[in-house]
Formats: sequence, structure tokens, C-alpha cells
Amino acid sequence: MLVLRGASYRYAGYAKPAVHDIDLTLADGEIVGLVGANEAGKSTICLVASGLAPASIGGGLTGSLTIDGEPMAGRPVHELAARVAVGFQDPATQRSGIAATVFEEVALGPMNLGLPAAETIARAREALGLLRIGDLAERDPSRLSGGQGQLVAIASLLAMRPRHVVLDEPTAQLDPEGTRLVAEALRSLAGTGTALLVAEQKTDLLDTLCGRVMVVSDGRIVADGPTAEVLGDERLEGWGVEPPSRVRLARLVQARGLDPALVEAGA
Amino acid sequence: MSGAATRPIGREPAIRVRGLVHVFPEGTRALDGVDLDIATGEAVAIVGQNGSGKSTLVRHLNGLLRPTEGTVEVLGEPADRLRVAALAARVGLVFQDPDRQIFARRVRPEVAFGPSNLGIRGKDLDAAVDEALAAVGLSDQAGANPYDLGYSRRKLLSIASVLAMRTPIVVLDEPTTGQDLRGIARVQAIVASLAADGRTVIAISHDMRFVAETFGRVVVMRAGRVVLEGTPAAAFGEPAWPVLTSTYLEPPLAARAGARLGLGATPTESAFVEALAAGRS
Amino acid sequence: MGPLAIIAIVLACAAVAGVAGRLVKVSALFTLPIAISVVLVSVFTRAGTTVLFTIGPFDATLEGVEFAAQTVVRLFAISTAISLFGMTTDPRAFVLDLERRGLSPRFAFVAAATVEAVPAMAARAATIAAAQRSRGLDTEGSVLARARGFLPLIVPVVLSSLTEVEERSLALEVRAFGRPGRRHLLWAPGDRSWERILRWGLAVVLALLVVARVAGIVPGTA
Repeated sequence: MLVLRGASYRYAGYAKPAVHDIDLTLADGEIVGLVGANEAGKSTICLVASGLAPASIGGGLTGSLTIDGEPMAGRPVHELAARVAVGFQDPATQRSGIAATVFEEVALGPMNLGLPAAETIARAREALGLLRIGDLAERDPSRLSGGQGQLVAIASLLAMRPRHVVLDEPTAQLDPEGTRLVAEALRSLAGTGTALLVAEQKTDLLDTLCGRVMVVSDGRIVADGPTAEVLGDERLEGWGVEPPSRVRLARLVQARGLDPALVEAGA
Repeated sequence: MSGAATRPIGREPAIRVRGLVHVFPEGTRALDGVDLDIATGEAVAIVGQNGSGKSTLVRHLNGLLRPTEGTVEVLGEPADRLRVAALAARVGLVFQDPDRQIFARRVRPEVAFGPSNLGIRGKDLDAAVDEALAAVGLSDQAGANPYDLGYSRRKLLSIASVLAMRTPIVVLDEPTTGQDLRGIARVQAIVASLAADGRTVIAISHDMRFVAETFGRVVVMRAGRVVLEGTPAAAFGEPAWPVLTSTYLEPPLAARAGARLGLGATPTESAFVEALAAGRS
Repeated sequence: MGPLAIIAIVLACAAVAGVAGRLVKVSALFTLPIAISVVLVSVFTRAGTTVLFTIGPFDATLEGVEFAAQTVVRLFAISTAISLFGMTTDPRAFVLDLERRGLSPRFAFVAAATVEAVPAMAARAATIAAAQRSRGLDTEGSVLARARGFLPLIVPVVLSSLTEVEERSLALEVRAFGRPGRRHLLWAPGDRSWERILRWGLAVVLALLVVARVAGIVPGTA
């Protein structure tokens, strides 16, 4: 379980914190969605929850990050990495650039942990298997589609066997097919007990993927609850978040004096 | 130019593509025989998987790429007779990633770069820049450093820097990627106002709801060919679903729900609501 | 005599590796600029007794021509040897092997990533050029027009490279790249016994030559 308590974070060189008083709990096997307008603080929360802020990028953090009861303050990034992994939106910049094959790319993390070669190989195989991309193992990682590239990036994180995975807009640069591939992979990953925090603009995707959704606005968490409740909240558009198609359509139907349940019937 | 006023808007071809084939030097056949007509004043969305040839196609419209086979005509003139710098006055192309073009240290000179390359000077230049900044909602950021703006505003800035060129044809490559609710609404308003001015808008997008709600025509590409085209009602209607599925596209919810409820083609949310209301009364 | 023998050996190896043609071209390109200046300087300014011909105030001497020829041949020998190494060695395997021999993984990464970054950088530069040409930047016109396009092309290349480096280093760190200590590498480059013998043999020959030269057994070519 990953827990942020009263976390406020200020980037190095800035006077004011980018996010304030963040409380976040990520339980095993849970997929939590994080939505908010651009610049509201989604990416910052991802960096704080993964410990990269401040461990890697500096800045000032008040409040605490604990994982499975242990405080993470002051730990080096490579120690954090084995507990919580973080992925970003661009598959190209997440590639190491030094691996000739997908397998080598995925094996890089466990190898960096100093594990014996046999263990590294086993973990890389397992990670590829989890995302069902074993058939990409011998491919050149720089010559994959966006969706495949993102799956390889996620597999590279999974090979570290983290219990918690934070993803910052993992489908932003993908086409609908790539988005579907990543969503499927995340579902099966949560099935193994891994906890996931997914920041996304695509509320239609979160609507079917997450059990819980949090909304960030102006650097603060303004809503946190079951998916249907939060994504159906009247205030969502005011926070700069597009409601899922289902919700929008039901509202339009209701505004016309018709039964919104008809939308569910058609969906 | 004088002929434009006498002919009815919407009849004059803005873009005419015939048998367009493009083979990249390493051998990839990115376009495999595309025929496409786009009339002046039309708002057309091009959809399809990554790698289906959408970006390759639009790069032929302003001469960045030249056909391996086939022809491209822009406003009645063969594109291969014009240099990119000359075509830029007719076709404004906004690239997907704003960070691949922003270079100025202030928003205003960034937006002025395109129009001044086209020889627009003085008051005309000021007016073009003001108008473009207003269109994307960045008027009060004119003195800001572009890199102090967040991604979505940088993206709107890159759109403004092409709008300021006042080209009769505007092409947007994935304008809603990385945009939130307000950004998407802003892009929708830009497309609508360009179309209202009689300018031609072509956009590449993966967001089917945005496409259905915003554009008059949808062109579906797969493996370098146009496999389907028509109004949103036709492109997202039930008969077209097998073609859409073959290229991993899903019609917007309004279209799917309308078909399942037997309401016919309801590509937009308002069409769905109206059809539902008509069915119940 | 020495440099010619080296060139012959290197070319023979290159022929076996199937890169002889490219090797000669690349080495010639490397050698040419220095060779031209060496020839000009040494042919006409080197003092000597046998004057071959005179151009203006300069006398070309036999000694000068000899020296120039010797220098050019040496330069060519050096550049063929270096080019042969570059053309026949997979940079990734080389870096991996250096790490296996105790070089820090960070240094190895910088070396490998630099090699790998070139095509990515070229692709990015091409997109940037396309975006700016779409905004009417004339890259096909006069020199003046093209000079005007310098900043719009170079600024995005530099800035986007910096962002990419930043993102990439974060992505690497979360894969424990910064962890100190040795890693157990999965692959060792193939190293057959005759390759090892050859390598050690060459090292011994090199050491012997250095000793011989210092002791004055082999005459230096000055």
C-alpha cells in the first residue's frame, strides 16, 4: 500500500508549491484514476507519489510518502524504483537507447539492480508475458508502433517487480488501438495485485478501467471517490475535466426531458 | 482571386488529389493510390491508425513531400510547380508537437514569424497576430515566454502561429492531443470560425467524438488508402462499422447508442437527443 | 616502409571484412584536409639541398617532398586503422565489453547513447525543418533567406534535445540506473581463443617495438 499524507511539493526554484495537501492511498490491486485540467498538478502528483520528486528532481516536499508502512523520505531513487515505478507519456523518451532488442530493454532494470543474470532473464520474460508481448522480444525497440512502444516501456518497469505503478498519461500519444492495448494490459496487471495510479485526460477510458477516481484542481484534490460518482459529478466540467461520453449524453437526454437510462440501454 | 466571389462557396475545389502514391526512400509505401477532393470551405477530418498514411498525405498538400506517383492540386494549381515557401501562403500546416517549432522568446514574435515570412508587414502583420492570438485565447499572453506556458497553451500557440498566416487552407495534425476540456472546446471553436469564414479546414484526429461533433466530412484511411469517406452520419452509421472495426476505430457513443436503440444514424450528441425525442413523442 | 606495411595489413583485413571500399573513402576524407596543408607547408618551406622546382619565392626541395610523402602516408595509416576499428566494431558490444572490464556503466551509457542519439536527433531536426518550412521559412532560396532561418531551426532542436535528455534520464533512473555497484551483464561479446591469443600477441609486439625504438635498435624516421 502506497500512502501520501498531507503532501505539498514545491519545484526547485519556485516560491510556491505546485500541489498542496495531497492525501492519496493506493491499495494492492486497485486502479485509481487521476484527472484534472492541464497544469492542475496531475504530473506533479505522479512525481511525488513515485518519490522522484524530490529524490531525483530536488525541490521541497512536506508531508510524507510511505510504502507498506515504511517512510520513503531520504531514500535514493534506485531503492524507490523497486517499490514504485513511474511511466510517462512518450514511449520514445522512455527507451534507454542502448538496447538492441526489446528483451534487452526490459532486462535493463533488473540488471541495474545487480541481480544475477538468471534472475534478470526470468524477470524480463515474466514482464513480457504479463503484457502478452513475448513475441516482440527480439524486435528493435526503436522500430515499434506507439502502442507497442508504450507496452515495452511498461514491461520495463514491471521487470523491477514494483508493487505500485504510477503512469502519467500513458495513452496520450497513442491511437485508439494503442490505447486499447495499454488499457487491457493495465487491467491484467491489476489482476496480479499491483496497485496502479493512472493520470489521464481520456475519461471514457478511466470510466471502464478504474474503481476509484481523484480530481485535482489548482494543485489540490477536490474529489476522491468511486468512479461513477466522481465522473458523474456536476462540478467536473468546472474543474476543466471532460465528463465521459456516457455521462454527457445522459445529461443531454435528461435536459430534453427524457429518461437518461435510455443511454445506458443503448451503450 | 476575382473569380472566387462569383462562384458559390463550397463548389471550388481547394484540394484535388489523384492517384497519389508515396514511397519513402527506405521502401515503405506510405500512400498507395489516394484520390481525394476537398471543396473550398469544407471542414474535413482524416482518421485512421498511426501509420495509415494520414500525416504523409497532408504533407503533400504544402509540398513538404512530393508524390512518387499521382498529382496534387491546391486551389486549382499543381502543387509540384510551387516551392514550399510559396505553398505556405495557401496551405497552413500545424504540426502535432508544438515543441518542434517554437523558437522565439516571446509569444508575439513567435506568431509573427509565419506571416512575416509571407511578406506581411506593418499594420497588417499586427492585425494578423492580434486576430490569431484572440482566436486561440492567448491575447493576454503576448509578452510571455512560450516555454513558461503549459503544453496545451503551447499547442494553441502553435495553432495561432499558423492562423496568423491567413492561409485559405488550414491543416491541423492531431490538434486535440494532450488538450483538456477547455483546449478541445477552443479547437472546436477555431474550426467552426474558420469554416464560417469560408476557409477550408482539414484535421487529423484520433478522437471520434471531436470528429463527429466538429467536421462535415470524415475520411477514413487504412494502409495508405482511403477506405471510407462521407458525412459523420455515413462514416459512423451502422453500415460502416465493419470498415471502422477493421482499422480499430470505434464510432462515438451517440452513434453506437442511436443504432442500438434503432434511431438510425445519430453521429452527434444533439442528433441522438433529437432522434430520441422524435421517437418518444 | 613501416606505414605502408600497416596500410597493407589494414586494407587486407578490411577486404576480409568486406569494407575495403568504404574504408579507403572514409580514410581519404579524414586525411585530405591535413594532407593538403602538410604538403603545402613542407614541400615549399622545408630546407634542403636538392631543389626540384621553384614557384615564386619558394623552392621545392627533394627533402621537402620526401617529408610530405612520409607524413601523408603516416596519416593515412593512422586513419585507416581507426576507421577499420569503427567500421567493424558494434558500438554496443564494445561498450558492453568495456563495462565488463570494469568501466563505469554511466560512462558506458554516455558512450553508447551518444552513438544511438545521432539518428534520433537527425529525425527530430527533419521534423523541425518541415514545421518551419510550413510557416513559410525559405530553405530553398538565397543564402540571405537561409541565414534568416538559422534560429528557428536550431532553437527547437536544442530545446527539444534538452527536454528529451531530461525525460530520458528520469526514465532511466526509475529503472535503478543510478544504483552504484557492479551489474551482472547478460551478454558477453563472443571472444574466441584465437582472438584472445591475437590480442595478447599484438600487445606484446607493440611493447617490443616500443622497447626496441627506445633502445635505438629500430631507427626512427625523422
